[in-house]
Amino acid sequence: MSKDGSAGFIPTTLEYAVKWAQKNSLWPFTFGTSCCGIELMSTLSGTYDLARFGAEVVRFSPRQADMLIVAGTITTKMSPVLRQVYDQMLEPKWVVAMGACSSSGGIFDTYSVLQGIDEIMPVDIYVPGCPPIPEGLIHAILKLQDVVQSGSDRPKMHRLTRAEANDAMSFRKGTDESLFDDSKPLRGQ
Amino acid sequence: MSKLTPKILAEQARIHGLLVEIYPGNRIDLDANAEAVLWVNSQKELVSAIKTLRTETGLQMDRLSDITAYDNIDGNDGPKRFIMVYQLYSMRFNVRVRLKLGLAENESVPTLTSFWRAANWLEREVYDMFGVKFEDHPDLRRIQMDERFVGHPLRKEYDIKDRQPFPDSLPVRIATRAPAIGQE
Repeated sequence: MSKDGSAGFIPTTLEYAVKWAQKNSLWPFTFGTSCCGIELMSTLSGTYDLARFGAEVVRFSPRQADMLIVAGTITTKMSPVLRQVYDQMLEPKWVVAMGACSSSGGIFDTYSVLQGIDEIMPVDIYVPGCPPIPEGLIHAILKLQDVVQSGSDRPKMHRLTRAEANDAMSFRKGTDESLFDDSKPLRGQ
Repeated sequence: MSKLTPKILAEQARIHGLLVEIYPGNRIDLDANAEAVLWVNSQKELVSAIKTLRTETGLQMDRLSDITAYDNIDGNDGPKRFIMVYQLYSMRFNVRVRLKLGLAENESVPTLTSFWRAANWLEREVYDMFGVKFEDHPDLRRIQMDERFVGHPLRKEYDIKDRQPFPDSLPVRIATRAPAIGQE
């Protein structure tokens, strides 16, 4: 590298090394809310041993983790909490939606359940199953390592108006218009 | 359904007989487990029945297992709109007894918090899901849904997919689906 900071061969190699380090030391933050959480614990235990893939250091603080595993049903009342957990995680961060509920709401197409966490945050990997077997989660994490290594584009989040968000979120249509007044700031912005 | 031992079946039969003796005018059913279901006719009778069931030496229904309700809009169980269900258990005899009380839409029920403190949250749940009011309840608020939620979701007229957004639980950004690996 020259004195003015222009690139030689080292930055590319360094980038490769950093990605290699990141993909082999994903620190999970577990957000288990139902039976998927049990399979997640099973995956972390000695029988399946997620430590083989460098992802065994479970952090119970979002600020120390870089992989959010959402395992279980997320209710609409819980969704702002989950969103706050996601916002508290430091970049770079990845999200795994484990199981049918966190991917799509699963069988709970009801008044109280969020229809997939991708309504509130970008998701890198979806794991099918109800609940997925531990091998399924391990497969997902191996795929996530490919994502980290290839450095492919993270899913983009784009800003919607509240009316658009209301439409997209399969909420009741057009009842209280004052909720979707874009002139009022949303909390946390 | 698990098979009950003859001893418990005998206790259940004894308690059913005792209930028929104490409440000759009331409808008393037996469910699939041969447990007694006592229908009380009014709110006043509910409180006196609870007192009797708790203190009567042959009954001693000292534990409140559950308070719930169901929507009787199709009228299968009489003309009243809601049916309150009180599930009692006797730690002494290991027998359950169910109390049922029909309620019109505008009627309220006396709280049981003076008998069991556990009734507090159970009654809050019934209030949240069905909108049944409990008289003299110490803290009658919603327990499961958001405080700003409108309506009572287990009433039959509530549309099951009617999710209600609130300004602070609305997503500010919505994600597109993640690209499949190798296809980005």
